[in-house]
Amino acid sequence: MKKVLVILLALVMVLSAASFVFADDAPTTATAKTKLGYTSIEDLDGLYVGVQTSVLYEDLIKDRIPKTQWQYFTMPNDMILALESNKISAYLIEEVGFIAQFDKHPELVRMEELAGVCEYAIVVGNNDRQERLLSEINEYIAKRNADGTLDELYDYWVLNFDADTSVIRSTSEYSGENGEVNIAIEGGYEPFSFESNGSFSGFDVEFMQNFCAEYGYTPVFHSVPFESIAPGAETGKYDFGMNIVVSDEREETALLSDPYYYCNIVFVLEGEAQTDVGFFEGIAESINRTFVKEGRWKQFVSGTLVSLEITLLSIVFGTLLGFIAYMACRRGNKIANKIVEIITWVIDGMPTVLLLMILYYVVLNAIKMSGIAVSVVGFSLLFACGMYDMLNVGCKAVGKGQYEASRAMGYSDKQAFFKIILPQAARHFIPIYGNEVITLLKETAIVGYIAVLDLTKISDLVRARTYEAFFPLIATAIIYYVLEAILTFVIGRVELGIDPVRRKKAKILEGIKTDEEIILDQVAEEQEEENND
Amino acid sequence: MIEIRHLRKEFEDIIPLKDINLTINDGDVIAIIGPSGTGKSTLLRCINLLNVPTSGDIIVDGQNITDGSCDINEVRKKMGMVFQNFNLFGHMTVLENIMKPQMTLLGRGKQEAYDKAMDLLYTVGLAAKALNYPEDLSGGQQQRIAIARTLAMDPDIILFDEPTSALDPSMIGEVQSVIRMLAKTGRTMMIVTHEMDFAKKIANRVIFLNDGYVYDDGTPKEIFDHPTKALTRKFVQRLTVLEYHVQDFEFDYEAFADDLQQYAEKLLIENERTSKLKMCLEELMSNNLFVINDSIDIVFKVEYAEKKDELTLMVKYKGEYFNPFDSDNELFNSILNEPTTKIEDEIRSEDEKFYPNKLRITFKWEEA
Repeated sequence: MKKVLVILLALVMVLSAASFVFADDAPTTATAKTKLGYTSIEDLDGLYVGVQTSVLYEDLIKDRIPKTQWQYFTMPNDMILALESNKISAYLIEEVGFIAQFDKHPELVRMEELAGVCEYAIVVGNNDRQERLLSEINEYIAKRNADGTLDELYDYWVLNFDADTSVIRSTSEYSGENGEVNIAIEGGYEPFSFESNGSFSGFDVEFMQNFCAEYGYTPVFHSVPFESIAPGAETGKYDFGMNIVVSDEREETALLSDPYYYCNIVFVLEGEAQTDVGFFEGIAESINRTFVKEGRWKQFVSGTLVSLEITLLSIVFGTLLGFIAYMACRRGNKIANKIVEIITWVIDGMPTVLLLMILYYVVLNAIKMSGIAVSVVGFSLLFACGMYDMLNVGCKAVGKGQYEASRAMGYSDKQAFFKIILPQAARHFIPIYGNEVITLLKETAIVGYIAVLDLTKISDLVRARTYEAFFPLIATAIIYYVLEAILTFVIGRVELGIDPVRRKKAKILEGIKTDEEIILDQVAEEQEEENND
Repeated sequence: MIEIRHLRKEFEDIIPLKDINLTINDGDVIAIIGPSGTGKSTLLRCINLLNVPTSGDIIVDGQNITDGSCDINEVRKKMGMVFQNFNLFGHMTVLENIMKPQMTLLGRGKQEAYDKAMDLLYTVGLAAKALNYPEDLSGGQQQRIAIARTLAMDPDIILFDEPTSALDPSMIGEVQSVIRMLAKTGRTMMIVTHEMDFAKKIANRVIFLNDGYVYDDGTPKEIFDHPTKALTRKFVQRLTVLEYHVQDFEFDYEAFADDLQQYAEKLLIENERTSKLKMCLEELMSNNLFVINDSIDIVFKVEYAEKKDELTLMVKYKGEYFNPFDSDNELFNSILNEPTTKIEDEIRSEDEKFYPNKLRITFKWEEA
C-alpha cells in the first residue's frame, strides 16, 4: 500500500511539473497582445473555437465565420485549459465570465469586437405549477426592473464581483407556505452560481432566494450541467432552470420567462503568459487553493463519502437483486428468464450516463427521489446485471454432475445449491466481482449529471473556482486510487476467506477425536510448515 | 424389493425406455447390458427419479415413488448412485466428501461421520488421502472415494452408472475389485456396464436391454455362455454382419471386395483370411451356382464373432444343389481342406421354403 502511494505521489509531481513547464515557456512581458496575433473575428474562420455546451453563443456569430470548427465544453473554465494547451485558438464567453476568469488568469485577452449580445431568461418547469410560477417570476422580474433592485444585484454580483468578498446578502429563512421549488443552477459558473463555503452562492442564487422569500417558497438548489438544465425543466423535474440563453427554438419547446439580464458575448484569446512561480510554491499554492481555502477539503470529504455511499449501497442492493434474479431463473422458469433477459438487455445496452438520466428525468420523475437515491437505483440495476452474469457463469463452471450427485444422495434442491454449487461458483466469480466493484466506483463519477455532488463533481466545482486544472484533477484521481486500494484489499480478504482449499487441516478436523497416524501426521506437518514461515 | 411396471421415458427427440417391466429382489446383483442408446443409464436414472418417467410405476418396498405423494429426497437417501464421472464435491476434502452428506442428510454427529468415513476409506484403501482434495486424485481413486461416499449413507441399493467407462484402462481394475468386494457382501446392486467379463464375474443376474424393452433376463451363464435369443447371442459374441442379396448374374465383385476390405480393417481381420473368403465366394457363385442355374436367388452373409475369432461365410440359395467338394478348382479345394477351415453343408432341409440350400464355411486363424 505504501509503495503504491509513493508511486502515485511521484506521478503527481511529474505531471504538475510538466504543467508548469508548459505554462512557463513564453516571455514574461505583460502586454495585451495576443500570442497568435488574431485581431478580428474573421481571423478565426476555419480554426478550432470553444464554446460552452447549450449556451448557443455560436449561433450569434457562426454566419460570419462559417468554416469554424466549434468545440463544446461542459465547464467554462475547462476552455482556459484547452486554450493554453492549444486545443482551441479562442473561445466564446459572456463578458462577465471573462472578467472573473481574467482575475485569475491575467494572460487571457479578449477581442475588442463583440460577438453579440445575449438575453438570459429562466426556463419554467413543465409541471402543474408552470403557469402560476411563470406569471409570478415575470411579475417579479418586472417589479425588480422597475425599482432598480435587479440592476443593483447585477452590479454587485457581476460588475463588481470579488470572489473573496461577494456574499449572499438575503435571508435564508423562508415561510415556505407555498411549498418548495426546485431550482437548477450550473453550480460551477462564477459569478452566477458557484459553490462557496459549502453552499451555493452567486447572482442566480441570490436572485432566486429573494424571489422565494417574497412569494412564499422554499428554494432547493440542484447543481446540473448546463445541457441538462433545459431538459430537466422540460420533464418537470425542476421548477426553474437558470441562465437560459433566449433563442427562437428554445421559445418553441420550453416556457421561458422574460429576460432577467443581458450580457455581451466576447471571444477570448491567449495572450502572453506572465506567471513565474517556483515548482514547490506552485504545488503549495495549489494545495492551498484546492483544499484549504474556504475549507474545501470538507467538500472533498463529503464528495468522497457520497461516492462511497453510492458505491457501497449499489453493491449491496445489486448483489441481492442479481442473486434474487438468478434464483428465479436458475431452474429454467421461462417467464422469469425472459423478464431478466429483457431487463438485462435494456440496462446493459445503453451508456450508464443515459441510464441515470433516463431514470432521473423520466422513469423515477413521478416519485420525488434524490439524485443519490436514483444513482443507487441505477447502479444497483447495473451491478445486478453483472452479478446475474457472474452467478450464471460461475454455477455453469461447477457443472451439472455434482448437482446431480448431491440430488441423488437426497440433498434437496436448495441444499444442493447452497452447500455444493454456490461455494464453488463463488471461487470462480469472486475475482471478477472485485473488478466489477472497482468499475462501479469509477463509473459513479458520472452522477454529477443528475445533480449529485460526488467526488468528481466536487472536484469540478472546485476547479471552477480555482481556475486550475492539473492539480485538482490529479488529486481527485489519487483519492479514487486510495478508495480502490481499500476496496481491493477488502475483497481480497473475502476471497481468501471463502476459498475452501486454503482452510487449515486442523480447522477441518475441529471437534473430532482421532488417533489415526495418517491424519495426525498431516496436521503436524502443516503446523510445522506454518512455524517455519 | 423394487418393482418396475410399464415404465416409459420419452425425451423430446428420443424414447429410450418404451415398456420396462422388472422386479429387483433384495440381494440381486444385476448387470444391465445392451447396445448403446438403449436406455440402460436412463433406466437407472428413472429408478431414483433423476429422470422423471413419462408413465409407469416404480414401487420401492411397497411405496409407489412415481405418484408424487412421497418425499423423493427420503427415497433417494436409501439409493446410492455411482456416476461415470465420479462427481465428487470439488470444494471439500475427501474426508468431508464422505462426512458432510452423512451429517446433512442423516443427522449424524461429526465424530460418528468421521469414524464411518475413515472406516470406509480404509476399506477402499485410500485412508492416506483423507485430507486431499478430489482434484489431487487419479480417476480410479476418485471413483473409489465416490463409492465410499455412497456406502457411508448405508443405502439399500446401489446404482452404478458405467462406473469404469471414464477411466484409463490401467485404473479399471482397482475400481472393479472394490465393486466385486461389495457384490460379495450381499448388497443389492445394479450395474450398467460395457465390460462383459466384469459383468459375468460379479453379477448373479443379467438383463439385456434392447430398443427400450427388457429383451432377455437370466443368469450370467444363460446370457453369456448359452444365449438362446438371436440378439443376445449376436450382442454377447459381438457379431458383426455383412449381408448381400444377389438376384441377377451381374454381381459387382469389386464393390463387394471394397466392403469386405473395410469390414476386415475395422475388425482387424487378417488380409489372408478375407482373401480366402473372397476366393471361396467367387468360386461358389460365378463358377458353379451361376453356371448350373437359369435364374439366381442367393443370399450370403459374412459374420465375424470377435469373442471366438471366427470369420464365417453363410450362403443360402434357391435352385440346383451344388456340392462344394465337386469343384474342380484346386485352390478352392485346398482352402476347404485346410485345418483352420470348417465347412457345414448338411443343413439343407426340405421345409425351408425359400432357400432350401444352405452352406456355412468358417475360417479360423492360426499364426504360422
